[in-house]
Amino acid sequence: MELLSRDDFRAALEGAIRGREARDASFSQAWANGLLSRDHLARWAENHYHYVGPFADYLAYIYANAPDTATDAKDFLLQNMYEEEVSDVRHTDLLIRFGEACGTTRERIEDPRNMNPVTRGLQGWCYATAFREHFAVATAALVVGLESQVPSIYRRQYPVLLEKYGFSEEEAEFFELHITSDEVHGERGYQIVLDNATTPELQQRCIQVVQDGAEMRFAYTKALYDTYVAKDLDGVTLTGAEPAIA
Amino acid sequence: VSTIEFRTSGRTVEFADGDEVNLLRTSIRYDCGVPYKCASGNCGTDRVLVERGAEHLSRIRPKERDRLGDDVDRGYRLACQTYASGDVTLSWASGSVPENERLRGRWLAGDVAAEQERRTGAE
Repeated sequence: MELLSRDDFRAALEGAIRGREARDASFSQAWANGLLSRDHLARWAENHYHYVGPFADYLAYIYANAPDTATDAKDFLLQNMYEEEVSDVRHTDLLIRFGEACGTTRERIEDPRNMNPVTRGLQGWCYATAFREHFAVATAALVVGLESQVPSIYRRQYPVLLEKYGFSEEEAEFFELHITSDEVHGERGYQIVLDNATTPELQQRCIQVVQDGAEMRFAYTKALYDTYVAKDLDGVTLTGAEPAIA
Repeated sequence: VSTIEFRTSGRTVEFADGDEVNLLRTSIRYDCGVPYKCASGNCGTDRVLVERGAEHLSRIRPKERDRLGDDVDRGYRLACQTYASGDVTLSWASGSVPENERLRGRWLAGDVAAEQERRTGAE
């Protein structure tokens, strides 16, 4: 096994996501096509909170695993945690604001009993990967595999929230914020992985976990549709919603 | 193809017609040197002057109005908040970065409140 060049490694990381993008999962398609009710979106908020709510916790495990010589990576992780929690409005509070506009409550959103088993699996995978893997591998999984997908998902879904579902900009601020912030977080994630996966084995492990992460996010998004939406949209064909996982 | 010219660093990046690319992400990826700290439009470190091609940029986001004020009308944008869909030329000051007064005020207010609470508790 040989060490990939920077360009080839980046192309392999991008290729590991391709065909597994969560924006193509059935729940995302139904969202973009204006087919969801506010009840469906409330269930999304009740699940999404338990995936992204601990994001600073995941990053903190990665931070602790990064050596003190990896200053650039540690600075990024700390900045990312800071932005999630205290730099302005806490991101989960924006998510709860959206959920409340959909008709659910802070109490229901924060209650872990309201997530489905697939969401619980995604959360557990995030914790385990952050805690157990080399910091470059964990960054690949969580930042490249998961977080870097966010702009492409929300750039499609945010305008629909305003135009078709009738939310105000304030109610949907969670999405507007992440369209831009995760562009930068995603790119910084790539740079950290490219700089710090310095052996063929680490590179291959990064590529594998990016694929795993993309599949986890796809499965999570698809499960939202299967659990909460399919029964209400019986017979609706979602063009472009291709299952990535056999 | 379209291009983003980062005049201060002398770098130029090409992207495919029909694409929309985030200015700060592009700068980071291709090492074009736009200064930045955060990614949320809060710090204002990535303030750039659009010298050419403003019509090829995404709409001005609320964070930019909040952070830049009237400078938005003088052609300034926040690179992290802005997407390009055609040729643009950017420059930026290489000196010190002004603090975000709104955030500074909020934190100072928090510090004052916490101090008052501590003193009240001690009495």
